[in-house]
Amino acid sequence: MVPQSKAKALNMKYSIAKRLTEKQKTSIAGYLFISPFFLLFAVFGAFPMIFSFYLAFQKWNGFGEMTFVGFQNFNFIFIDPVFWKSIYNTVIIGLLGTVPQLIAALILAVILNSVLVKMKSFFRVAYFVPNVTSIVAVAIVFTVIFNEHQSGIVNATLGLFGLSPVNWQTSEWGVKIAIATMIFWRWVGYNSIIFLAGLQSIPKELYEAAEMDGAKKWQQFLFITVPMLKPIIIFVVFTATIGSLQIFAEPLIFSGSGFREESITIVLYLWREAFSNNAFGTASATAVSLFLLIIAFSVINVLMSNRLGKTGNIRG
Amino acid sequence: MRKLSLILLLSFVLILVTACSDTEANGEGSSSDKIKLDMWVFGSTGYEKLADEYMKEHPNVEIKIQSTQFDDHHNALFTALSAGSGAPDIAMIEVNNIERFRQAQDRFHNLYDLGAEEVKDDYLDWKWRLGENADGTFLYGLPTDIGPTAMFYRVDVFKEAGLPTDPESVKKLIPDWDAYAEVARIIKEKTGKPIADNYELIYNALRDQAPVQYFNNEDELIIEKEPYIKAAYDYTVDLIQKGYVGDNGLWTPEWGAAMDKGSYATLLAPAWMQGVVKGNAPNSSGKWMITGMPGGAGNWGGSYLTIPKETKHPEEAYKFIQWLVAPEQQLKSFKEMGLFPSTPSIYNDPSFKDYSDDYFGGINTAQVFAQSAQMVQTVYMGKNYKVVQAEIVNALTNVSKKSADPEKEWKAAVKRIKRQLERQ
Repeated sequence: MVPQSKAKALNMKYSIAKRLTEKQKTSIAGYLFISPFFLLFAVFGAFPMIFSFYLAFQKWNGFGEMTFVGFQNFNFIFIDPVFWKSIYNTVIIGLLGTVPQLIAALILAVILNSVLVKMKSFFRVAYFVPNVTSIVAVAIVFTVIFNEHQSGIVNATLGLFGLSPVNWQTSEWGVKIAIATMIFWRWVGYNSIIFLAGLQSIPKELYEAAEMDGAKKWQQFLFITVPMLKPIIIFVVFTATIGSLQIFAEPLIFSGSGFREESITIVLYLWREAFSNNAFGTASATAVSLFLLIIAFSVINVLMSNRLGKTGNIRG
Repeated sequence: MRKLSLILLLSFVLILVTACSDTEANGEGSSSDKIKLDMWVFGSTGYEKLADEYMKEHPNVEIKIQSTQFDDHHNALFTALSAGSGAPDIAMIEVNNIERFRQAQDRFHNLYDLGAEEVKDDYLDWKWRLGENADGTFLYGLPTDIGPTAMFYRVDVFKEAGLPTDPESVKKLIPDWDAYAEVARIIKEKTGKPIADNYELIYNALRDQAPVQYFNNEDELIIEKEPYIKAAYDYTVDLIQKGYVGDNGLWTPEWGAAMDKGSYATLLAPAWMQGVVKGNAPNSSGKWMITGMPGGAGNWGGSYLTIPKETKHPEEAYKFIQWLVAPEQQLKSFKEMGLFPSTPSIYNDPSFKDYSDDYFGGINTAQVFAQSAQMVQTVYMGKNYKVVQAEIVNALTNVSKKSADPEKEWKAAVKRIKRQLERQ
């Protein structure tokens, strides 16, 4: 019975296929090929996104009826000092975690790219390994390293230099530095690999010419490497900005589910609302606010990088 | 060529579709002759073994137990119930977590409709009450184990401070919280060690002995109206400020290491902490003993077995869980996995009366906890219990680590709590 119906269906398909023009068939095949992604994206990506815009204006505990409350959810979070603190924390941790990290990544990439270094592929893999390590494992290990106790690794080291121990998990700056260090460790290798790819696309002749003109190594770096890497730098800054606005797992595991004010980030605030407090309305309002914030940051990024492109283009 | 590939692709999709529907049909067919029950649990319960025993007696039932990590388990269950599909036939819910499922009453079977009234008298009253709704008409789950609390203490630290060390005398020495503070002072003076390593457990112990906690039956926040929680907070703050309490966070490596080193005197903890102490302090056999807690007892942990509405076999699921948590099976769980029984009839069983633990100085620890189990207050916790708890602990942490002003911290915590409560 099954094979018969299948054959019938096949025949039907075949006759449909006959009636279509070659061009239509090509486009149908194309759509079929890309459809898995779009179907999955629609279900797991687009729908939740649109739904959270809807939820931002509802009051909902996850089970009962939703009630429309207008802008009340936004009102709740905007008058909440913890929300503003979470934005502040996110930006500070983001800056602490990315600015030194990108500089270090660039320097690492230049070193990796130089002819002096042996075993290049080993270092490339070694740099990349932190990025594929489980984020939870990383956070747990760093929790041990940045322990509040005097016997914690970092505090003990500070003690060797006669410095007093830091409350890494509960003090305003301690917790931010600890989390930023985690981000640094995890992403510096990834970004240096990307920089390395960019470095390798810079024509060698430029350096040879500069050398002929008597340019020193640091001058070559500043006036050839950096300007030529501009598109890569813009890309890396872009992704790092968006990534750091979404910091979540590190602070969650590092400072536990007490959601302390020193370490709560926007996404953590959102998560607390939804999955700890069952307040899905305010959680969605937070998500929408985060969405707008990311757009704002991206616009600033674009404007700044456009400007860089105009003023700093040495070759052009 | 292109035409061929198009046909191939289309037929592939078609086969996939028919294949899927085929297996579905088969699945339906085979489940009708054997009743399949999916059960979600967390941690190590040892229920797999008991389920095998049950399946031998009931060959028409097939039970599949899936165990996940504590938080993941409860979050997955919450999501499944909220979505209205994907929930198992039987779900275990921990006592603190049951609060967040209270608003989902319509997603569970009322076990009173399935005959739970009959077995009610087998269980401790307070434990049973926590599994009911506020007015006692709806029963979410049948009680599994409990976590009655007692006072673990270091014999060597007590000796060093010139205090008595056997459980009876220690109990007499510290009958209430004033005596606890006084002993804290003596220990601090004589040995320089804190009475406890963590303020959270002292606060929790006091909270558990309060006649009402954070919410009344209507889920209104009462911590400002009723004096008990503020009193528990003040008492804890007082000990912190006098330097009688250590500041190692619960579950941190230091907290565990301190158990073995004997760097503090008492640990106010539930029955299941015995395993934690043994694990963290393998070299301290005979140095830890257990006696009743000052001022009464409390409960920390223990679970319930619930039956989500989605199940197709509520009767069979209920029969199984009623069997699983009946006194005879709870006794097995106690012997094999150390789950402390919620059925008081077991407390008179010979294996309970003659129990002794060499690690804890050869005393009958089971009897100590059985006594606390019968002293626990019946209390309504409320669905937002966790919000309040987290913020009060934050306040205590600030007092301990930042020497913050306790009154200001209390007010700030209450403010944060109220701000979160108005959102649901």
